[in-house]
Amino acid sequence: MRVLVRPAQYAALALYILFLGFPLLWLVSASVKSSGELNSLTVSLLPGEWHWDNYTEALNKQGLVRSAANSLVVALASTALSVVIAVPAAYVLARLKGKVRAAGVGWILVSQVFPVVLIILPLFLILRTLGLADNLAGLTLVHTTYMLPFALWMLQGYVAAIPVELEEAGAMDGASRLTVLRTIVFPLLAPGVVATAMFSFVSSWNEFFFALVLLQSPENYTLPITLTMFIGGEGKVALGPLAAGAVLAAIPSIVFFGILRKKLTGGLMAGAVKG
Amino acid sequence: MKTRRTLVAGALAAVGLLLTACGGGGSGDSGDGPVSLTFQSLSDQPAAIAATQKIVGDWNKAHPGVQVKIVQAGWDGVYDKLITQFNAGSAPDIVHYEAAGIAPFATDGFLADLTPYLSAEKRADIPKGVLDSVTVEGKVIAQPTELQSYVVFANKTQLQQAGVTIPTGASMTWDQLREIAKATTKDGKFGLGWGLSSPTAAFVALAPGFGGKYFEGTGNDAKLTAGPGEQALPQLVDAMAHQDHSILPVTLTQSGTKALAPFYAGQTAMTVQGSYQAANIAKDAPKGFDWVVLPPLAGSAGPAQAANPQTLSVNKDSAHVKEAAEFVDFFTGTENLAAINEADALIPPTTSARQALAAKLAGKNGWDAILASGEHLTSAPYLFAGKYAQWKDTVATPAYQQFLAQKIDAAGLAKQLEDGWKNVSK
Repeated sequence: MRVLVRPAQYAALALYILFLGFPLLWLVSASVKSSGELNSLTVSLLPGEWHWDNYTEALNKQGLVRSAANSLVVALASTALSVVIAVPAAYVLARLKGKVRAAGVGWILVSQVFPVVLIILPLFLILRTLGLADNLAGLTLVHTTYMLPFALWMLQGYVAAIPVELEEAGAMDGASRLTVLRTIVFPLLAPGVVATAMFSFVSSWNEFFFALVLLQSPENYTLPITLTMFIGGEGKVALGPLAAGAVLAAIPSIVFFGILRKKLTGGLMAGAVKG
Repeated sequence: MKTRRTLVAGALAAVGLLLTACGGGGSGDSGDGPVSLTFQSLSDQPAAIAATQKIVGDWNKAHPGVQVKIVQAGWDGVYDKLITQFNAGSAPDIVHYEAAGIAPFATDGFLADLTPYLSAEKRADIPKGVLDSVTVEGKVIAQPTELQSYVVFANKTQLQQAGVTIPTGASMTWDQLREIAKATTKDGKFGLGWGLSSPTAAFVALAPGFGGKYFEGTGNDAKLTAGPGEQALPQLVDAMAHQDHSILPVTLTQSGTKALAPFYAGQTAMTVQGSYQAANIAKDAPKGFDWVVLPPLAGSAGPAQAANPQTLSVNKDSAHVKEAAEFVDFFTGTENLAAINEADALIPPTTSARQALAAKLAGKNGWDAILASGEHLTSAPYLFAGKYAQWKDTVATPAYQQFLAQKIDAAGLAKQLEDGWKNVSK
């Protein structure tokens, strides 16, 4: 009986991966099918005829590469800003006691309940006054503001999980406050920072509504805005080029995750050694 | 997306009241240089984008003092974008949209009255029903650019094999369609496929053929009636699906585009679609697939259909309303409308452009019947009913779906439609 346990585990894992990966496989398959095949009753994972024109059309049609570059700039900048602002704030929030902390937590939670449509017009006017309405820097600020509460909430959980006794031990050994933070807290917090960065990056990369309203010039459009241009009036959808565009759009995210995944593991091990 | 329109509109209108003073025109030019106009275009097909660029290029070449810049945008989310732009006073000078979407902006006073810029010749060239669809409170608030109608695409081979004489002439009746559907339903194949997952648009658009209007009045005072004229088509579909069994059942729950796959595969002999699908069928149908567009469908009141044209409007806050209106007039000239509609496989809204396109494409698969269906497009009272979009999504579509699934009868359907309208328009 025990002999069967390991194959069953692998089978379960394979099924799980297949379940997760199937939509992506289907997307890749759709991206290389002809329009006729996509509109056929015959369902097949592999295309009958490989149709690379969808990629050419996706790349040529709506400035997809430029939009991807815009999205990358905004996502990386807003991720960096979110993390830099959220780390010290999260530390303070996690370590503080009393009414100030309660008020801070309350404000963070309240700030999450406003529908974006309530704030978009005042936001638009403020950014326009600052000359940032149709501007990637303005969008970066908006994304950062929008992501900060959740990033802070996420990070303060990681800080709270670090035993305060470790910091006290460091202080008793004569380390300054900054040394304690640098040598004990930050290494242990690294996995949380990486996870928060991943979350922030994906939130910004996929954000649609703010970008739709704030960006007016096609040269500033981000990827989600450009991808919607494959959806036309009267319900028309250019399915093949849209799938090709979506596949291309996923690549930077996959690369970013690939890089950060290693850091996430590294952070965990660093924490283990210090702990 | 559309269900959030009410929330978006309400929230932005409230904030907008406080902040409109901050607004300015859409034009970004100043000083003595050429006038600069922004034109937010929603053209999505490569050929239509190219045609739009050519028209704008021709204008810019002929009018060095008034330069138009295209700002390409997408259909998805454009209502949210426009309502923010209008409320913030940063909307483009020239706005591309559709009559159903632009009417509320006109009611709110964001659009310029184009009546003074519409020549008598152009006015006579646009059929009255189509002109009515862009007229709000007696003002022409947009010029129509493209139209679609609902037409029947048929597999010629299947009809011939069933011994059916393929209808010709100026129109065909719904009863003829029902008979052909019955005759071609055999051997596991169905006479008709009709993607009715969101049936309201089709039922409302086709109701004038049975004398159905749905709405009387405008804005929040509009009254809805779901009488015999409005109920005739849903009941006919119900009879075809559940008495004749001549409609492929799965298509009743699919989008229009999805219903094309069984048509290509020979599972259905005919399909009711938006006329623009002619371009997709020409591109995607299997080799040797012999198809035809049947004559416009006529109900008890004739072949009328409600028109919801794509439009070009001018931002009332533009610093150059006159120049923008002149550009719109240029864009909707005969040759330009013919070019843009050919590219999008849609129907020109002016008689002269339709004739020009008919002359150019005579005999080309489907175009004659499609252009003929454009002759019967009439005004659409639903365009001016204030909460139509909300009623459509939250009341009508679920009610029609229940009716077609035989969960409610005709009386129940009428009650849901009428009571639902009273609720949403309170």
